[in-house]
Amino acid sequence: MQASKKIIINMLLVAIFSFSLGTTFLFADEVSEIREMTKEKVDHVIITLKDDKLNKEEKKEEILKTIDGLFDFNLMARLSLGKKFWKKLSSEGRNEFTELFVEKLKQSYLDKLDLYTDEEVVVDEAKLIKKKRVEVLTYLVSKDDKMEMTYKLYKTKKNVWMVYDVDVLGVSIVQTYRSQFSGVLKKESLEKLIERLRSSAELGS
Amino acid sequence: MPKIIPAYLTFIIIFSISILFVKGQVVFSQENTQEASNTFPLTDSSADDEGGFEDEFEDEFEDEFADSGQEVFDPLSGYNRVMTGFNDGFYFFVLDPVARGYRWVLPDMARRGVKNFFHNILFPLRFVNNALQLKAKNAGEEFLRFSINSTIGILGFWDPAKDLFGLEAHEEDFGQTLGYYGVGGGFHVVLPFLGPSNLRDMFSLYPDMQMDPVNYVEKRPYNFPKQEGEYLGVSRPTLQALEMKLFKTVNNESLRIGQYENLKKDAIELYPFLRDVYEQNRAKLIRE
Repeated sequence: MQASKKIIINMLLVAIFSFSLGTTFLFADEVSEIREMTKEKVDHVIITLKDDKLNKEEKKEEILKTIDGLFDFNLMARLSLGKKFWKKLSSEGRNEFTELFVEKLKQSYLDKLDLYTDEEVVVDEAKLIKKKRVEVLTYLVSKDDKMEMTYKLYKTKKNVWMVYDVDVLGVSIVQTYRSQFSGVLKKESLEKLIERLRSSAELGS
Repeated sequence: MPKIIPAYLTFIIIFSISILFVKGQVVFSQENTQEASNTFPLTDSSADDEGGFEDEFEDEFEDEFADSGQEVFDPLSGYNRVMTGFNDGFYFFVLDPVARGYRWVLPDMARRGVKNFFHNILFPLRFVNNALQLKAKNAGEEFLRFSINSTIGILGFWDPAKDLFGLEAHEEDFGQTLGYYGVGGGFHVVLPFLGPSNLRDMFSLYPDMQMDPVNYVEKRPYNFPKQEGEYLGVSRPTLQALEMKLFKTVNNESLRIGQYENLKKDAIELYPFLRDVYEQNRAKLIRE
C-alpha cells in the first residue's frame, strides 16, 4: 500500500514536470524562430543603410519594403486611437485615419534613419509574454551610447508574427500616440484630429 | 527497476500529450475565432481583413495600454505648457546654434573625451545610488570603472573600462532610488532650462547636486587666493559651477545634434508628448 502510494505521487510529480517541460520546448522553438525573423529584417535595414550603391530614395524604398511585412501598421493605427474612439468612426473615417496615421508613422521612422551614422543592432533575447505575444529585445549600439529597443510581436490570425508596438528606451510608440490622441480628442472632434493629421502629412512631404 | 519504468513512460506520454494539447488548443482557438467572425458579421463590411478583429482579442490589446479616457493629474499644466514653449525656444535659438558652432570648432574625439570626463567624475552619484538600491554588483562595477578610467583612461577622458573590460555604466540617480522604494513621481513639473521633471525628481536634484563634483569647482589661477565676493548678486563659486555646467551641457548637446528635432516630429502637441515620454522613460529606469 505504502509503496504504491509513493509510486503514484512520483508519477504525478513527473507528470507535472514533463507537462511544463513539453510546453516550454514547444514554445521555445517558435520564440527562437521569431527572434531569427526579427533579426533578419532588422539586419537587412542596417545593410541597406550601409549600402553605398543605393541613393537616399532607393534606400527608403528598400527599407519600407523590408519592414512592411514585419509591422502591422493597421493594428498600430487602431491601438493608437483606442477602441473608444475607433468605434465612433465610420468606415471611411477609419480608412482615412489609418492611411494618414500609417503615413505619419512611416515618415517619422524614415526621418529617424537620417540620423544613422555607424550604429549596429544587437538582437538580444526573445521572451514569450503570453501565448500569442513575444517581445524581442534589441540594442542600437553606437560609439558611446546604447539604446534599448523592444519589438513587441503578436500572432495574427494567419499565423504570422507581426510587430504591433515598439518600445524605445521604455517609451511605447503606441502608448505615446494614444495619450496624445485622447488629449486632443477631449477638446476637439475626431474630424478635426483627422484634419490635423492631414495637414501635418502635407507639411511633411 | 519496475519503479523507474512507469515514471519514464509517464514522462514520455505526458510530454507528447502536452504537445498535442497545446497544438490542439492553438488550432481550436483559431477555429473559434473564425466561427465568431462568421456568426457575427461586422457591421462595417469595408474594413479589411486585418481590421476585422473580434472584440475579445481587441480587449486583450486594450488592456496593455493605459485607458484612453484616463485623466492625468496635472495641476501645473498651464505653467508647464508655457515653460515647455520657453525651453523649446531656448533650445532652437540658443543651445542648438551654440552647440553647432562648438561642434564645428572641436573635433569629435575631443568632445567625446570631455563627455567621458564629466561622466567619470559623476561616479559618486552612481555609486551611492546603486548602493542605496542594494545593487551590489552594479556598485562594484561602478567602482571598478572609476578606478580604471581615472588611471588608465587618463582622468576619465577615455573609457577603457567599457572598451577593454566590457564594463558598462549603471546610471542611477536619487530620483530612481526613491522610485525604487516606492515613491511615486507626483505631478509633472517642467523646469526652466532643465526640461521635464516631476515632484519627486525635482526634489532629488538637490541631493544629486551635492554628489556632482562640478558644484565644488573653484577657479584659482596658479596659487592665487580663493576668489571671494559676488558678481551680479551671485557668489563667485556658484557662478563658476554654472560655467562648468554650461560647458558640459553644450559639449554633450554637440554630440546629439538633431535628435530633439527628430523626436519632436512624433508630437501632435509638444507638452503632453514630452511629458509622456519623460514619465514612461523614468518608469522604465526605475523598474530596472
